[in-house]
Amino acid sequence: MKLRTKLTLFNTISKLVIVTLFVALLPVLIKNINQRYTDSRLRKQKDKVLKTVKEQGIKSYIQDGESYAAYTPIKDDYVSLDEDTLAGYLDTIQNSVRKIDGDTIEYRILSHDFRVDNKKYILEIGISVDTVNERSGPLQNIAFVILVGMIILTIIADQLYSDYVLRPLGLIIKTKLVGTKFPNFGSYKQVKTSTSDFRHLDISIHKMIRTIESTFQKEREFISNASHELMTPISILQSKIENMFEQEDITDELKIRMLEMQKILNRLKSITKTLLLISQIENDQFLREDKISISELLQEVYDEISIRLQDKNISYEVVITEDWPLVNINKFLLFNLFFNLINNAIKYNKEGGSIRIEAVKENNAFVVNITDTGLGISDEDLPYIFNRFKKLRQSLQQDSFGLGLPIVKSIAEFHHIKIEVISEKNVGSTFKLIFSGELVG
Amino acid sequence: MNVLIIEDEKALARELEIFLTNYNYMCEICFDGTSASEKVAVNLYDFILIDLGLPDYEGLDLLKEAKKYNPDAAYIILTARAEIYDRIKGLDMGADDYLAKPFSLLELQSRMQAITRRKFGLKNNVVELGDFLVNLTERTITHNNEIINSITKKEFDLVAYLILHKNRTVTRNQLSEHIWGSVVNDDYDSNYIDAHIKNIRKKLNAYSAPDWLETVRGLGYKIRINA
Repeated sequence: MKLRTKLTLFNTISKLVIVTLFVALLPVLIKNINQRYTDSRLRKQKDKVLKTVKEQGIKSYIQDGESYAAYTPIKDDYVSLDEDTLAGYLDTIQNSVRKIDGDTIEYRILSHDFRVDNKKYILEIGISVDTVNERSGPLQNIAFVILVGMIILTIIADQLYSDYVLRPLGLIIKTKLVGTKFPNFGSYKQVKTSTSDFRHLDISIHKMIRTIESTFQKEREFISNASHELMTPISILQSKIENMFEQEDITDELKIRMLEMQKILNRLKSITKTLLLISQIENDQFLREDKISISELLQEVYDEISIRLQDKNISYEVVITEDWPLVNINKFLLFNLFFNLINNAIKYNKEGGSIRIEAVKENNAFVVNITDTGLGISDEDLPYIFNRFKKLRQSLQQDSFGLGLPIVKSIAEFHHIKIEVISEKNVGSTFKLIFSGELVG
Repeated sequence: MNVLIIEDEKALARELEIFLTNYNYMCEICFDGTSASEKVAVNLYDFILIDLGLPDYEGLDLLKEAKKYNPDAAYIILTARAEIYDRIKGLDMGADDYLAKPFSLLELQSRMQAITRRKFGLKNNVVELGDFLVNLTERTITHNNEIINSITKKEFDLVAYLILHKNRTVTRNQLSEHIWGSVVNDDYDSNYIDAHIKNIRKKLNAYSAPDWLETVRGLGYKIRINA
């Protein structure tokens, strides 16, 4: 998951948790606030009643020993004053049910005892609980809306800011790491950022890339120079041996030993030539301007290689369901790619085995499958078959030096051809070449 | 024919001289570009072999210079720097052929012969081998005016190469270098020459025994032509 996505996710989730908690607590909170407010109103009313009693006497409420009661028509609040015959002094606020004119209503009631003219009176002031609750509904809604609004605002703000802050990181990843083809890194461009961590990251990556690049470059130069330098002494030796063959006075026995020398020199030449070819491909010293149809190319390879099938009595089948012209290729290199793959298919095949080459269109890709009935490659060897000088156990008795598949790989990479290998031990291997659209005319 | 060998690697230059002298060419050697540039201005040559990697001279400049004084000579570029663009540039500038080091001396000689045929228009390109006639221009082998179609391109190449180096043993290594020289591959001992020769003999035997194609035991093959 991307860092940005993670941050956004965390932000949103944490805020949702806060909202949920708050919404769950809201009724309790509002109720609490409302009760305090109601209670303080009740006390104010009590104070007012007591003040009236003090200034004007109890007579302003109670005459002739009758009790006093007043309430509004919808009975949402009431005031009552009466003589109290019970012992003790009450001064409480609590919820309680009263029956007024046949209606049973729950009230928040303040009860207060006081003495006037040696008589004890009880004052009750009530506000109906329904009224209290009616007021808390809208309050809750407003609080909820404001809360949600603020949460959305902060999420957006967080998002915008994290976008802004993380942009340099995204740029570093996009321009420096993803889609950068090793070892062609291109030139260094500093990523603009005020975050020192990102600047540090950017510079470090750049330094690492430079190091890798120069190591790569040195290795390439070394291989190129070494193989070039080896060519001249090989050339001299080859000429010397060939000239010795021309001499009449050399015995046959000596000639056979010279032939062995020539053979070994050929081996040295092959290795050097192959390394040089790989380094030339990697240094982009080949053009891609040729055009040839896949059937023609396969025919040319067959003409060169058919003699090798004879030895092991291998059957060879080419199936081209749709012949397509290859363009923007280097014919010499592609010829060598197929030659090496088919040569391997022969070399590692069994007596009387078969090779099947199939050129097909597969989901808009152009594919050539080269399937043999050979030794196969074991799973543990499979990741290493394209490594230089890597000789697999089963190929030890073969005359090879472990550069066939590396050439194939270099040529394929040079043409952006993808190679997939499917192999089963003692059953055979399939090398699948997937040609990109740019190579097909 | 006069040949100028321009090659800074002395040992190689000597071997080229020995080989070509053996094939009846008159050779002169230059180990550097400066002396070569003096020589081409004074003498006329039929062949000029130029190594592109001279220490004191840009090989292609030397080629240009030499062409001014020796416009009729045939030029063959020899180089260890086998880069493609060099090859194209060299041929563009009028080199007749190009050989990447290391090359077989027999290959050099066959290229020189090919150029000679081209340049001097040698018509006599039919060689008589026992009951067979080999036409090197049309690349055919005939028996009693009947063309033997079963001979493949590779097989003809082998016969032609052996004819070119007639009465000499050509080793298997030399033959396979000629036949598969442009293939870069993983084998160093793939000796399929024997299989090719076997096929050629079988195909020709259907008409008449090709006694002229000799096996030199343990070494290679030879085509004997009694001049």
